[in-house]
Amino acid sequence: MTAALAVRQTVALTKRSSLAILRQPALIAPSMVFPLFFAALSASSFHKTTSIPGFPKVDSFLQFSLASTVIQGVLFGSVSGAAALATDIEIGFFDRLLASPTSRPGILIGNLMGSAIFGAVQSAVFICALLPFGVRVEAGLAGVIVMIVSGALIALGIASLMSAVAIRTGSAEAVQGSFPLLFVLLFFSSAFFPRELMQGLYQTMANFNPVSYLVEGMRSLVLDGFSISAITRSIVVPVGICCLGMAVALSELRRRIRSR
Amino acid sequence: MNTGAPIVVEKISRHFGSLVAVDNIDLTVNAGEIFGFLGPNGAGKSTVVRMLTTLLRPTSGSARVAGFDVVKQADSVRRNIGVALQDAAIDPLMTGSELLKLQAVLYGIAKSKIRGRADELLERVGLTAASERRVGTYSGGMRRRLDLALSLIHQPTVLFLDEPTSGLDPMSRIALWEEVRRLNDEGTTVMLTTQYLEEADQLADRIAIIHEGKIVREGKPRDLKAAVGNPTLLVSVTADQSEKAKSVLVTFGEMRPTADGTLSVGLRGGGEAVTDVIRKLDEAGVRVSHLELNEPSLDDVFAEATGHRLEGAAK
Repeated sequence: MTAALAVRQTVALTKRSSLAILRQPALIAPSMVFPLFFAALSASSFHKTTSIPGFPKVDSFLQFSLASTVIQGVLFGSVSGAAALATDIEIGFFDRLLASPTSRPGILIGNLMGSAIFGAVQSAVFICALLPFGVRVEAGLAGVIVMIVSGALIALGIASLMSAVAIRTGSAEAVQGSFPLLFVLLFFSSAFFPRELMQGLYQTMANFNPVSYLVEGMRSLVLDGFSISAITRSIVVPVGICCLGMAVALSELRRRIRSR
Repeated sequence: MNTGAPIVVEKISRHFGSLVAVDNIDLTVNAGEIFGFLGPNGAGKSTVVRMLTTLLRPTSGSARVAGFDVVKQADSVRRNIGVALQDAAIDPLMTGSELLKLQAVLYGIAKSKIRGRADELLERVGLTAASERRVGTYSGGMRRRLDLALSLIHQPTVLFLDEPTSGLDPMSRIALWEEVRRLNDEGTTVMLTTQYLEEADQLADRIAIIHEGKIVREGKPRDLKAAVGNPTLLVSVTADQSEKAKSVLVTFGEMRPTADGTLSVGLRGGGEAVTDVIRKLDEAGVRVSHLELNEPSLDDVFAEATGHRLEGAAK
């Protein structure tokens, strides 16, 4: 198989995956609506916490929440792509792809790219939705672009890990069952409160939680502007998660094909 | 053995743990044939098809499809075959037209030719009007026809159809048979699995009967039926007279299994022996409520080979 054909196949499968996400509004609505709902609720309830000594200097709690809103939506949204892959396995569409001369990595990557595109769209929508309410991104337009790219990479990384579950189990229910794990990861991170103001076990868990670094990288772009640290945490950490996720998912795909 | 045949299977087996799903099968399908693989659910038909279409690795043995080894040259096999798997596994969120175009890209068809090929196939299977509708809104028959169109996108030389009419209404079934015949007339070699006797009888040039993973009969339907020999006489009597009737019937030939408890005997003397049977039953005091003489069918071939009637044979 030529590389050009493999790329063409992957692009076609990316288009299919994106269409599938768009055509299931009931599936994607929660990952679009709930983060905005939480942002509105926390902005109206926790404004006074911004005056606690040690809290980052912000115009409003909403400005503090922008990064966590984006990450929250992207984390939850990335589950739908992996669930779609598991559904393909369940209904036999995956076998149709395997019976065709389609590049094996292309089958997986095409599906994941749909999740990445959706992650980018989600990030852009959340930023655009909160800007009219006085939220300012200190890193400017370039910072917004970095946040969108970061959103896409995080979606790609998480969708890869979830796809590994999909390929291993072949069950959409098992993938959806992993959703609470993402919620726990988000909850025990610095998504809703700065790590500097945490104490004890919660702070320890947040220190070890990779989601804290994803949120803080993006938050740094919003509150402080461009910095090497912000770029590293916004781009390099998600790229690391992508590499890990892709390696695990491709290994699961190879295992599934070999075990037939 | 014809080594140049599009499908050549040599001593192929497939185990799932301790279960032997396919047991040491040899098979050759010649160019331009419609080959029917007949057997009940769980007999091993789909497992054979999945091995020949590169979806499953054989535990032992080898197979060549379209001239390529299914394990060592799997990608070349995939380029040359069309596959319509059981249950028409089609993405319900896409339209028929979108699916055909996706399939065309997967098979490397040039961009400039995709639309024309998709339109041609949609017309061929009678789905032009529904081409922009999502597949989720299609009926079972429409999904099967689309599945067939998808499997033909790259004009394969060998076509595998795994239970292509399972669950279809009679009209849709006949329409699909006609399309398969038309494809075969154009030179495509077809291997289809089915549990419908009529389908195998109507469509296949040659059939193999598979039972518990083994091929128990293989040949032209006409030859297989002729080999069974005697016509079958079906006799219905009341339950209390069953044993008495059986003792009479067994003197006229070999008793054959039936699905519904009716007594069935392969008449050694052919149709002409019916008068004698009736006379002897009458002399024994057996009252017959129904009598039917059937020429040998594939179900008789199956029963003779396996000791069981084929599931769903009455359909």
